[in-house]
Amino acid sequence: MRFIGKLGNVCIYDDSQNEECPDFEFHAGSSGGYGEFTFVYGPSAGGLLESVQFKIRTSGEQILEIHADPYFKVRHISLSGGIDDVALKVERINAMFSASHSIAFLLSVERSLDEEPDYETQMGRIVELELERVRNHLYVLHKLVDTGALGVASYQLQAMQEATNRVIGEACGHRYFFGVNSLNHVECNFEKVDLRYLKRFNSFLNDLLENRILIDRFQNNGKIDQDWLIGPTARASGRKYDARYDSGSLPYKDLGFSPVIERSPDVFGRFLVRGEEIMQSVDIIQEAMKKWKRKERKEVKVKGTGEGMSRLESPSGDMVYRVMIDGSKVKASFLPPSKANLLFFLKSVIGTIFTDFPFNWESFGIWISEIGVDTG
Amino acid sequence: MNWFIRGLKKGIQTEREPRGTPQWGSALKVNKEFKDCPTGATQGGWDAGKCVFCRRCFPDLSPTGDHRMGKVSRTEAKFSRSFYLYPIDVGTCGGCNAELKLIASPQYDMTRFGIFFTNTPRHADGVVVMGVITEGMREVLRETLEAVPSPKVVVLMGACAISGGIIGEKVDVDADAVVPGCPPSPNTILDVLIKVKGGKGW
Repeated sequence: MRFIGKLGNVCIYDDSQNEECPDFEFHAGSSGGYGEFTFVYGPSAGGLLESVQFKIRTSGEQILEIHADPYFKVRHISLSGGIDDVALKVERINAMFSASHSIAFLLSVERSLDEEPDYETQMGRIVELELERVRNHLYVLHKLVDTGALGVASYQLQAMQEATNRVIGEACGHRYFFGVNSLNHVECNFEKVDLRYLKRFNSFLNDLLENRILIDRFQNNGKIDQDWLIGPTARASGRKYDARYDSGSLPYKDLGFSPVIERSPDVFGRFLVRGEEIMQSVDIIQEAMKKWKRKERKEVKVKGTGEGMSRLESPSGDMVYRVMIDGSKVKASFLPPSKANLLFFLKSVIGTIFTDFPFNWESFGIWISEIGVDTG
Repeated sequence: MNWFIRGLKKGIQTEREPRGTPQWGSALKVNKEFKDCPTGATQGGWDAGKCVFCRRCFPDLSPTGDHRMGKVSRTEAKFSRSFYLYPIDVGTCGGCNAELKLIASPQYDMTRFGIFFTNTPRHADGVVVMGVITEGMREVLRETLEAVPSPKVVVLMGACAISGGIIGEKVDVDADAVVPGCPPSPNTILDVLIKVKGGKGW
């Protein structure tokens, strides 16, 4: 049994739920020695893509204690109402994980209605999720390499990220899958998906791994090795934790899927896992596309009452949605992976120096937009 | 392989003309009146700043493929050679942040147009404001705008900042330019930024 996180007051495990769940604070470390001082980083500062504030306590170099406030830009988004209206908001919780949010939401609605989506639709959803993973992992690698001042590699990774956005835009009409997902339907033409630009990604990654400067920055930085981990952070530490493998939400097993794992619970391990997963995702996409078929959208009638929950693997780990349906109205709540990852990051940063901070931060793939949401 | 050699071998990736605009990231053409727009973008024509490109109006409204949706109300020729931007996120979904960053990618290469990012508002010529306004970021935005030396330009980017979209409240500042989209594509962003500094656009 593995712990996934806290949704509302409930502790979510991979196979069960528990009503009693402790609160988690965005805080790690302790301090109080002579000569220590606190400095503030954020909420709006160079190097931070999103608005978040860190209060860092140090005696000069080492980070001794850290508080994070991801609620500066908290958005009040009501996730109740008609299914299509809620879906419109769900896909705007975090654009980079939009497919994950939308599909997790729709799966939980379908479960609450005891509706099984068509196999072709499920394959289409897998293609979406893996394209999203490729794009996000390229983005994280770009940020990591950029932080390491490896200009050529950084720009080449960014070019691949843009190419992936264009592939998604060409196939689905929108670069972030907005307006694409609905009950038992994916509005994309995956015949247009062409990933040939990633053909030599393996040799690109190998060249990066020959760079001593980069490796020295990554190895032994941001170490975290504990049982509660999710996503690439867990897999970097040798744990086979992956909702594609252990949730059964989508038929990944039909594609012969097995999680990538490494034995390096630091920035280096997370970098490796993401790099290897890009190549794995390309293979999954190609296999899933063989089983996918384009279909016209059919109206799904929503009626009755019910409750449903779903869990799937977003690019940064487990994403959980829970919905309650009453008539044609739905009320949704969610557990984003970034919440857990922010806690892991804070814990891993203690004892490191501030120069290591950006490498460690980028390696977790955290999106503040999905933490700072008040669903009312 | 040496990274310098690898860079040369890859060749020039920068594009001479706009490419890759997605259908639902381009201006919409009104074919027929549509009344059920969730943001009211289709009342009396089509309002790009309110549109979240949700496709509900299709086929009454249809995409044209034209990314030039932005509006520039004031240009600043002083920034024609070098235009430093400070982005501020006051309540985004991360989409605008990601798309703005991509104008630095080799395909677009913003630096050839004299556009750069800066890490501090003190060194900025313009501020790009993204997202719906949130309580925690009101004061941060005010201080940021004050910190930028004059002359300066303010650009509102994305439906959230321009009109609130479907998520919340718009950003209430005097903007010199707006970049519609949800999120705007890099082509739309570049077009507006080039026009703001006195160019013909992209």
